[in-house]
Amino acid sequence: MRETTPLSRFLSEFSSNRTAAIAAVVVLLIVAIAILAPLVAPQDPYDLANLVLRDARRPPGYVGTQGYVHWLGTDSQGRDLLSAIIYGLRISLEMGVIAGGIAFLIGAFVGTSAAYVGGRFESLIMRIIDLQLSFPAILLAFVIAAMLGQGRYQLIMALIFAQYAYFARTAHGAASAERQKDYVEAALSVPLSHTRVVLKHILPNSLPPLIVVGTVQVASAISLEATLSFLGVGLPPTEPSLGMLIANGFQYLLSGRYWISIYPGIALILFIVSLNLVGDQIRDQLNPRLRR
Amino acid sequence: MTAPLLEVTDLRTWFATARGEIKAVDGVSFTINPGEVLGLVGESGSGKSITGFSIIGLIDEPGRIVEGSIKLEGRELTGLSASELRQIRGKTVSMVFQDPMMTLNPVLSIETQIRLALEAHEKIGADEARRRAIAALAQVRIPDPEIKVDYYPHQFSGGMRQRVAIAIALLHRPKLIICDEPTTALDVSVQAEILSEMKELVAELGTALIWISHDLAVVASLADRVAVMRYGQIVETGAALDVLTHPRHDYTKGLLDALPSRAKPGEMLARGADADAVPPPREAATHEVPPLGSPYLVIEDAVKIYQKPAGLIQSLAVRAGWAAPEPIVRAVDGVSLTLHRGEVLGLVGESGSGKSTLGRMAAGIYAPTAGTVRLNGKAVMSGGRSPVKITTRVQTIFQDPFASLNGRMRIGDIIAEGPIAHRLITRRDAPDYVGRWLAAVGLDPALSNRFPHQFSGGQRQRIAIARALAMQPDVVVCDEPVASLDVSIQAQIINLLIKLRRELDLSLIFISHDLSVVRHLCDRVAIMYRGRIVEEGGAAEIYDNPQHDYTKRLLEAVPVLPEAAE
Repeated sequence: MRETTPLSRFLSEFSSNRTAAIAAVVVLLIVAIAILAPLVAPQDPYDLANLVLRDARRPPGYVGTQGYVHWLGTDSQGRDLLSAIIYGLRISLEMGVIAGGIAFLIGAFVGTSAAYVGGRFESLIMRIIDLQLSFPAILLAFVIAAMLGQGRYQLIMALIFAQYAYFARTAHGAASAERQKDYVEAALSVPLSHTRVVLKHILPNSLPPLIVVGTVQVASAISLEATLSFLGVGLPPTEPSLGMLIANGFQYLLSGRYWISIYPGIALILFIVSLNLVGDQIRDQLNPRLRR
Repeated sequence: MTAPLLEVTDLRTWFATARGEIKAVDGVSFTINPGEVLGLVGESGSGKSITGFSIIGLIDEPGRIVEGSIKLEGRELTGLSASELRQIRGKTVSMVFQDPMMTLNPVLSIETQIRLALEAHEKIGADEARRRAIAALAQVRIPDPEIKVDYYPHQFSGGMRQRVAIAIALLHRPKLIICDEPTTALDVSVQAEILSEMKELVAELGTALIWISHDLAVVASLADRVAVMRYGQIVETGAALDVLTHPRHDYTKGLLDALPSRAKPGEMLARGADADAVPPPREAATHEVPPLGSPYLVIEDAVKIYQKPAGLIQSLAVRAGWAAPEPIVRAVDGVSLTLHRGEVLGLVGESGSGKSTLGRMAAGIYAPTAGTVRLNGKAVMSGGRSPVKITTRVQTIFQDPFASLNGRMRIGDIIAEGPIAHRLITRRDAPDYVGRWLAAVGLDPALSNRFPHQFSGGQRQRIAIARALAMQPDVVVCDEPVASLDVSIQAQIINLLIKLRRELDLSLIFISHDLSVVRHLCDRVAIMYRGRIVEEGGAAEIYDNPQHDYTKRLLEAVPVLPEAAE
């Protein structure tokens, strides 16, 4: 008889859904490429010495003056598009994970404490969050990004502000359910301090739904960032994320130079769809109602 | 000699799992004659429910009937197609499940549900269906059936819901009804009503009945014959009176001996008399504790009111007269109770009587709306707007050991967490301290790094007891600590409580709906009804000479085992 740990059971169940397994591989691959960008990318797109204006806007497969093949073509400044996409993914991923992570922490804290404290405090906090959720995230992020100006920290702030409410809502729901359970009453009857009850008892048990929301929200943070960058209120031009690459190629779309916009777009879609598929599968696996 | 109605021969129902086949039912044979009542008794996991499900053809994947035959009126049921089984199910054989809340559809009215059940086997018009529905409800003694037929399940109490489920099971005048623990979720008095009604109905209609239960006394009051199951096999079968008064098999004997109603109050029960280690010495100050027998935990005029807090808009609407204020629930309505040091006080009542709320106020989990709870003259909870518990000398053991342990902590951490937080021990001493407590509750100290889901229900309840006692309390509030356990495990836990209480001079508040357990364990008993204490006194006095009408009704409702005529 083989010893089955919860993790190995989780993994085997996960890989039984082929779509999700492929999506997970794609996500891991993209993350690995993004992290290892300087080693993987054929060209350093930030190094202005590498850019040759004569190579600008060349179609995929063009052999550049420096002797290597631009598989996905070049952009308006003669940058190798493949390298730009790899570096762009790196920036997008960084933004998404940092903003998503901080939003996770803030949201989990706010939601759990609202559920634990209850009463007026809970109503107040949850009504503020409802109010915020009733505005489209893109609008909120847009307003904040416009108010704070351009820059990565400003963008992260905007993303956090637009996203924490989803985590808070989820954490509140999970924690309200956990709050009623006997083990919390058992902890209160010891008595343990409120901080300990929240951090050691309620929060760990509220984690599964939060992890699900987390994967989906990282994906949505990345697309939000791309949207903001596309609209010109995101990252400065010195840090070209995927959204900005798409925006840069936008003006050439009608002149037949499709690749400058389309390939970064495909990379973005591939990443976000894969992340969402992974998130959906985790959600289904953690939801006992959907279990067979 | 008539031909048997149902003949089960060598039935084997196995479940294929990743860890090999689980033989839930492993070679069961029995017969039932028309109109006979068979009690199928066993502890959880004995395969009694799966036997019932096998007969009615409701075995879910990955389970399957491996071999054996089930013959109903001479017709083989195993191997029938799903549609053929549907022809039989509900018509010739029907089933009543444990939890009527789960088996009735909450969004359909009773009339609709009965009509659907009727339409499953016959063509019937709407008027005729309604007439039959009303008649069916009347048959199971539901008052005002003409009105109640339009109700939805949530408008009924648990007992009424179970009556509806029985009415649906009886619709097609089945030859056989299988009842799977139908009264387990109900209060004693409701159970008594349903039992006597069921007896009459079965006699009236000539229906055969398989009554699956873990409760020997319930089965004794109803069944003609009894079959005792264990590990998927029937270990003993015979006339009910015979089996229960002169059990032949050791397992049946053990099961009967484990019942507190058959032992002398206060004695150790026969089952599970294991020699546990001595608990670690108390280090918390004990010098200020009053002598045994003096008033210790004093509850005065405690009231607990539940009212859903009204939001801003709602309170405005209430003030303007547009909306009704939220209803007030007086869960505990002015209770004064004194627990003397060293005694065991039983708190008895049916569900909704407020006994658990009172226990939680005594334990400092809820603050009373009015009144005081004092331990040795000092308040258990601080005052103010958000009261917190300030003593560690009252601890709690909860009913459901699956819910009361945090599934994400190792059991060693669960036990050590409180004592470390309150500096009873240092982090360095914790492993040793935890090990000694685990030994004291009869568990292997080496298991301290496991998680709760790796333990059985009885083991978990031992862990919960260790957690409560590791705080070195003087008073332990036990909220139905054995209600969700099997009889033999229940006996072990009761023995453990008796032993630890003696060794540690504990005072216990023992909350229970099970009168026989309370009688066995408690020195004094308080009977709660609708938030108030209706009667209080020495255990023997109350049981032998109840004064209040409610107490009398409660005691009469308890099913009793036939005594062996020695």
